[in-house]
Amino acid sequence: MKVTRQHEIQKFADGETIFNEGESSSEMFVVRTGRIEISKHVGGHSMRLAVLERGSFFGEMSLLEGLPRSATARAIGNVSLLVLRPGSLLLQIRRDPTFAFELLQQLSGRIRELNEKLVVKMATAEFGNRLARSAFMLNAAAEYQRDSDRPPVSQ
Amino acid sequence: MKTSVRENRLLVVSDVHMGNSLHRTRRAFTDFVQFALDHRYSICINGDGIDLAQLSLSHLVSDITPSLSLFLKFGENDLRIYYTVGNHDIALEHFLADVGRMRVLPFLSVASGDQRIRIEHGHMYDDMFLRFPRIYFTFTMIGRIAIGISPGFYDALHRFNNAFVAFSEWGLSGFGLFKKKEVPNENWIAGERECFREGAEASGSRGFDAVIFGHTHFPGTATLAEGVKYYNTGAWFGDPYCAAIDDGRIWFGSVAELIKGDPFPMTTSDIVASITGMHPIPRRSADRLHLADGAVAAGR
Repeated sequence: MKVTRQHEIQKFADGETIFNEGESSSEMFVVRTGRIEISKHVGGHSMRLAVLERGSFFGEMSLLEGLPRSATARAIGNVSLLVLRPGSLLLQIRRDPTFAFELLQQLSGRIRELNEKLVVKMATAEFGNRLARSAFMLNAAAEYQRDSDRPPVSQ
Repeated sequence: MKTSVRENRLLVVSDVHMGNSLHRTRRAFTDFVQFALDHRYSICINGDGIDLAQLSLSHLVSDITPSLSLFLKFGENDLRIYYTVGNHDIALEHFLADVGRMRVLPFLSVASGDQRIRIEHGHMYDDMFLRFPRIYFTFTMIGRIAIGISPGFYDALHRFNNAFVAFSEWGLSGFGLFKKKEVPNENWIAGERECFREGAEASGSRGFDAVIFGHTHFPGTATLAEGVKYYNTGAWFGDPYCAAIDDGRIWFGSVAELIKGDPFPMTTSDIVASITGMHPIPRRSADRLHLADGAVAAGR
């Protein structure tokens, strides 16, 4: 770890874990060089949520809400990160006001992406329900037809 | 609003101050725009392009008219004009939007080649602008009156303004009693105040290879912490400077030098490819074609 006049920089080698899901810590990071894989454990499997490029930030949920990490972050290639703690985030915003603008811009982009995914998921679920309903109706109709074609037992 | 873009060829200038009667290089600006068009560069006017704070409408019309028709040709040639807002045109913040090929932005992050370059006017890091906005505004308005009297009078007032800023900073530091003795920094632009270095370092620390500012009217380059390169493209009141970006490489020099010869000349096939959007077959692919045809590929 290196602390310059103003900034705390952390470096990670390829594949190294920056933080694990469920850990408690309160830093957020800005990617200076390299790339970051964000993944989450779902049903015993690791699911890749995103790959972040230079200039992107991550870990802001723990910093802003004080909650445990909601996902795991791992380095892809050699990575250099700018580390921001609650105090240094405010200082960074004061020294570099455009950072606040970009922070909001990226968060807004992420909300938009989530909304789009949610709409697709809801539409798919709705389509699935309709399909199941149609299949059920067809099946019932076919059974009714079969029943009506069947000769009466008395004959 | 898209503040992050990819541009392989871009020219950056700042503080053109069109509409200000001190803008004495009107002809050079038209030549600059024509050069960008001829050599297929997009351009970024990095703040204070139109001097709304010290505007003379008749000057604005005569300054901008020759360039306007050229601006329209940027769209026809699939080139863009970026306009980052400065303190003399801060009213344009109400118009942050993509207007055709012109993009009005608060700042610009450019990916070129494998480099990330940050372009900002820089007034957001000016201590005087942030701490004493009213005094700053008052001086700007006094400057407007002074320009109306005579450009020479304005120049004298501008020197007084710089002395006043220096005196204020000295006063704020406890009349020099509590200020650490500054070691002259050879790796910094003469005249450029420390607040701009701090701002550029804070901005550059977020994964940028270079930071380009304007605002101070002091052209020059420096290297910041962690190896981030800093450029200030000066102003068009005197000898205008420019940063030329091509595929991640950055050239810095005066506009006069730039116009004499493109620092990153394009080959004919590059020009054809950029106009038609059809890229020539890369050599490696051509080799593969030859091999498939059974031609001898030895020596390649």
